[in-house]
Amino acid sequence: MGLFCDYVMKIALLKGMRHSVQPPVEVDSTLADDLKLVAEVLSKDRKATAEFVSRYADCVYSYVRRRVMPRPEAVEDLVQETFLAAWQNLPKFRGEAGLRPWLLGIARHKVEDYYRRRLREAEWPPLDDESVAQPSVVPRCEERLDWAQRQKKVERTLAALPETYALALLWRYTENLSTREMAQNAGKTEKAIERLLARAREHFRRRWNHAEP
Amino acid sequence: MLSRDWDEEFSHLFGRPDEPALDERAPSRLKARLYSALVRKQQETGPLMSLEQTQRAGHGLCVFEKLVQIAPVSEAAQSPFFCTACHARILAENFENAPIFWSCCPYVGFQKG
Repeated sequence: MGLFCDYVMKIALLKGMRHSVQPPVEVDSTLADDLKLVAEVLSKDRKATAEFVSRYADCVYSYVRRRVMPRPEAVEDLVQETFLAAWQNLPKFRGEAGLRPWLLGIARHKVEDYYRRRLREAEWPPLDDESVAQPSVVPRCEERLDWAQRQKKVERTLAALPETYALALLWRYTENLSTREMAQNAGKTEKAIERLLARAREHFRRRWNHAEP
Repeated sequence: MLSRDWDEEFSHLFGRPDEPALDERAPSRLKARLYSALVRKQQETGPLMSLEQTQRAGHGLCVFEKLVQIAPVSEAAQSPFFCTACHARILAENFENAPIFWSCCPYVGFQKG
């Protein structure tokens, strides 16, 4: 009987709670906008598709560009691949986070695939010479350059390097991959990656120190 | 083999401030190409939303779409991607600041921002 009373009281309490439950907190308006936009794009509304591009092309472009600089054709191809993959996967978008992080997640995979593919396919410079001069540290006075200026100089310097060197540096220092991860992804040995990075840093340093600020 | 100092130095050099503050503007011709590619992809799996429905959803139509809309054709015939045949698309996909000024044209919208 005591157990039964306890049970009845719990039910009553739950019923009471159900009645006193507050209306759900209003969904974040950006997220609601995103979900509405996704529904419209999925219904093949061309104007909503234009809105989708207008709203998110800048952030995806910006993300990819900073990782694949200084190769504009590769940047544009990767942005396009990102949006086409997004269209394919849009029915799976659940809105746990907004469209922006969702799209940037797709872009991140595309960029990783690009690094992996290019480093596997690219002609590697001969790496049998162990006596690569170790670069002195890039001068600290560069800190006086503001970020935008420095970024431009990094781009110019990377543009002047062989593609393999530029990719290796970007993958290591922009994506923060370890040499082991890079080796696994590129299908090379860790030693080969370390030598490639040493060469790449040396070439980068030489060009950096002789370039205009 | 790798020096921690160089790693730190290069990480610093390649480092980025917070992403959101640094959004660059994508070239408008890239946006135009993205839009065209997406709509073509959408067409592969069936017709686009008709112009009538698009308007009912609250979107404006450009002058050419309005012409199609008032033409005596079925709603199904209003579904194709008419921009394929429009000079605005060609200009926008190939030039920044293309001289196109139609109201409610997505390609004009990409030029603006």
